Amino acid sequence: MWYYIQGVMALALINVISVVGLSIFTGFTGLFSLGHAAFIGLGAYTAAICTYFYKINFFVAIILGGLMSGLVSLIIGFPTLRAKLRSDYFAIATLGFGEAVRVILENLNITQGARGLPGIKAYSTFPVVLVIAIIIIFIARNFVFSKYGRMAIAIREDFTAAEMMGINLFRVRLRSLFFSAVCAGIGGGLFAHYICFIQPNMFTSIQSTLLTAAVVAGGMGSLTGPVLAALIFAAIPEILRVANMWRLVAYGFVLVAIMVFRPQGIFGYKELSINTIKGFFKKKDPASDLTKGGAS
Amino acid sequence: MKKKLLILSLILVFALTMTACGSSQPQTIKIGHAVALTGGSSMWGQAEKNALEMEIDKINKAGGVLGKKLELVAYDTKAEQTEAVNITKRLAGDKVVAIIGPGQSGVAIAMTSVTETAGVPFVATTATNPKVTVDDTTNKVRKTAFRTCFIDPFQGTVAAQFALKDLNATKAAVLFDVGSDYSQGLRQYFVEAFTDGGGTIVADEAFRSEELDYRAILGKIKDKKPDVLFIPTMQKEAAMAMKQAKDLGMNVKFLGGDGWASPDLITLGGTATEGAYYVNLASLADPAIQDWIKAYKEKYNMEPVMPNPVMAVDGLLAVVDAIKKANSTEPAKIIEQLGKTKDLPVLSGKLTIDPNTHNPLNKPAVIETIKDGKFAFHARFVTTD
Amino acid sequence: MFFQTLITGLAVGGIYALMAVGYSLVFSILNFSNFAYASIIMLGSYIGYYCLAKFGLSFPVALVVTMLGAGFLCFLNERIAYSSLRKRKAPSLYFMISAMGTSIFLENMVYATIGSSFMAYPEIFKQKALHIFNSAIGVLDLFAIIFSFVAIFVLHYFISASRTGIAIRAASYDSLICQINGVNLNILIGLVFVLAGILAGISGIFLGMKYMAYPTMGWITNKAYIAAVIGGLGSLPGAVVGGIILGVLESFVSVYISSIIRDVFSFSLLILLLLFLPAGLFGRYLEEKV
Repeated sequence: MWYYIQGVMALALINVISVVGLSIFTGFTGLFSLGHAAFIGLGAYTAAICTYFYKINFFVAIILGGLMSGLVSLIIGFPTLRAKLRSDYFAIATLGFGEAVRVILENLNITQGARGLPGIKAYSTFPVVLVIAIIIIFIARNFVFSKYGRMAIAIREDFTAAEMMGINLFRVRLRSLFFSAVCAGIGGGLFAHYICFIQPNMFTSIQSTLLTAAVVAGGMGSLTGPVLAALIFAAIPEILRVANMWRLVAYGFVLVAIMVFRPQGIFGYKELSINTIKGFFKKKDPASDLTKGGAS
Repeated sequence: MKKKLLILSLILVFALTMTACGSSQPQTIKIGHAVALTGGSSMWGQAEKNALEMEIDKINKAGGVLGKKLELVAYDTKAEQTEAVNITKRLAGDKVVAIIGPGQSGVAIAMTSVTETAGVPFVATTATNPKVTVDDTTNKVRKTAFRTCFIDPFQGTVAAQFALKDLNATKAAVLFDVGSDYSQGLRQYFVEAFTDGGGTIVADEAFRSEELDYRAILGKIKDKKPDVLFIPTMQKEAAMAMKQAKDLGMNVKFLGGDGWASPDLITLGGTATEGAYYVNLASLADPAIQDWIKAYKEKYNMEPVMPNPVMAVDGLLAVVDAIKKANSTEPAKIIEQLGKTKDLPVLSGKLTIDPNTHNPLNKPAVIETIKDGKFAFHARFVTTD
Repeated sequence: MFFQTLITGLAVGGIYALMAVGYSLVFSILNFSNFAYASIIMLGSYIGYYCLAKFGLSFPVALVVTMLGAGFLCFLNERIAYSSLRKRKAPSLYFMISAMGTSIFLENMVYATIGSSFMAYPEIFKQKALHIFNSAIGVLDLFAIIFSFVAIFVLHYFISASRTGIAIRAASYDSLICQINGVNLNILIGLVFVLAGILAGISGIFLGMKYMAYPTMGWITNKAYIAAVIGGLGSLPGAVVGGIILGVLESFVSVYISSIIRDVFSFSLLILLLLFLPAGLFGRYLEEKV
């Protein structure tokens, strides 16, 4: 049974890695992406091809997978972000991009098309994935609290004002896109070495929407929120096998409900830190609420 | 609100651990079932589960196996590779002695990484890709992979020879799904066999998965005037293709593979499917299984969606036979005996497993046709190699 | 083969045009892409299926029921998912997420209640091929094209001639001034969604008859977005022209180049247009509302 639980947790953490990347893009920079599964797919295929055909070291292959996704994201991001596409058409463009990557994966010789790549070595064990996930979360956290992170948040809140303050919209957005693509690529590489068999039809737009759902439900503007949401989203299907069909219905409902009633999601703009944990246990002092001020 | 949510998530993690360690009844032999209970293939999956439950009931009433009762542990693969890997790990944790299924080749190949590590055998029902049982990089057979159905090279050859001999076709066109490994494989073997047999492929067109509109490429195919249009896809796409071909006024014979075997084909394709042919693993009209079909209809109030339930029962009977021969429920011993299955009387005839490929030997293929809006048996086929 | 490809393209384009008009209607007023439109079309298709197959209604009655049903659902969609966001002037990201949530909810609701099996429409039109200029077109396709054009023409007449239509056009230019002039924007927006829903119902029933009703059929709506851009965002006649052009172009790409890259072609066309010709043929490119 531990074999099974380990497997589920490894998958959950792989999911977390991609979600962390996407939360930087959607949650912090405010851009909507419907094609992130493509980056996962690119990372998966690159890493798998490296270890399968070229016998490259696993960790190097994962990094190469992430970099390949990042590179492609730059190619895609350059024209679409430069042109300052409206956010909804940017989303549609990412959808098209996802499609294009699927077509490429299905038709290139080295990816073996629909037949897929079987027999990938199972390098993604639970401890490996856990360590990588922690590293990624750490890097993401540093990104968020850095100058770049704050610029990204400014863009999400009001991009016209941000531009007037001198923030280069294009560069910051492209940087966010690159980071999220690299995370997704690394997640993909780990995924490929967990399932040990990848086919192009495993990276669909449904996956992209589920990633975005995790980011939104967890809270845009927080890292812990999406991480928790990703873990919950991965654990629920295993626990509630009976209500399987209704799980996605619930996700859809939760998304709309969050947007209508509580747009900041579960965690809002807060992170899990010593302060917030202390805050749980401290009694709420009405006076301190007045002195807090600002949006919560 | 936040506090409650944090506690809730922690509880969920614990609940996961708890539910995973399910209760075990030491007095039953657990047979796992990896099946697509939801999604596009669910009608076959549900039929498999029904058939297995019916058969296990029968075996248990007759005393069980080695004195113990059989228990079916079925999990939904949703026909997805990731899900299949998860549930296979769960089945291994549930201590099943063998797994029946899956019905899809991609899913089966994904499962092999788990079953090889866990040492639990699986008997695929309709996974026809040769790579399921034989690892094509090492060309060695996978220890834990078995199946009760024929493989795509055979199916493609049957289709091609039927087209050449019975339909007197000299020119064939192919319309396949580029995103499906089943479709690609079947097309490859059909093309090889058809050209080997002296025919010419005049058109070889692909469409993307989930695409339902082929009018443009059918127009292109129409120009080449083929005798036969081979559509190696699942029933939904094939039905659409036939309907649209008729809309374009095409006058060809339609030919397909076992992916067509569902009543959906006729409901979706309507009158366009009249007179089409396809290769199947088992037929509703087969005299040998009429009693079984009657029992199924009585119990579940509907006809079994062929051929999956027959293949599943075949698999179950093979596993039961292996347990009896090995006189033990240890998966390793069952694997050994499964490979030696010879002339075992199963639902679809006699089952002999080739120890070198874990594929059944001498499996005939059935050609079915659609007449008056219903499936009708046309011929039993054995290829001339 | 050239003519056959053209005729096929027109048949496909007719459906694209219908969807693009419904989509453009909402877009021109609210300046946002209703990603949940795909689910409304899908639900319309299911309503049509139930009317025709389960309740055995005649085709005209089923069509009217579907149109009204889809219109109502679209209206509900607006009220539940978008109206509160609109009232507090939420950023467009929130609208998109709400739309996405609605679409996930509706699609999986169908999966959970009705099941994922493909619902085949009964054959209303004869499975025959009509021959024009040595090319064939199905009876259903021809009917669908004609009906779509009639519906769009009726809509066009309504929008240009009636008082409500004028209000809709005014609101699409400047909703604030419109309100000052006494138009109840809430009711107007609700009405626009009902109209869009009616068009979705027609699209749904024709898509269902042409193919089948299944939960993920809404994916074809992505072509509507592209068609709207080709014709020009915010322009209804542009949407029609865009739909036809897209259908014909796709048909030619499928036949003469490769049917596999057809969708990649469409999306690439979208990106190129947005980069170099964002106003399309007839439209005006609306900047993101600040």
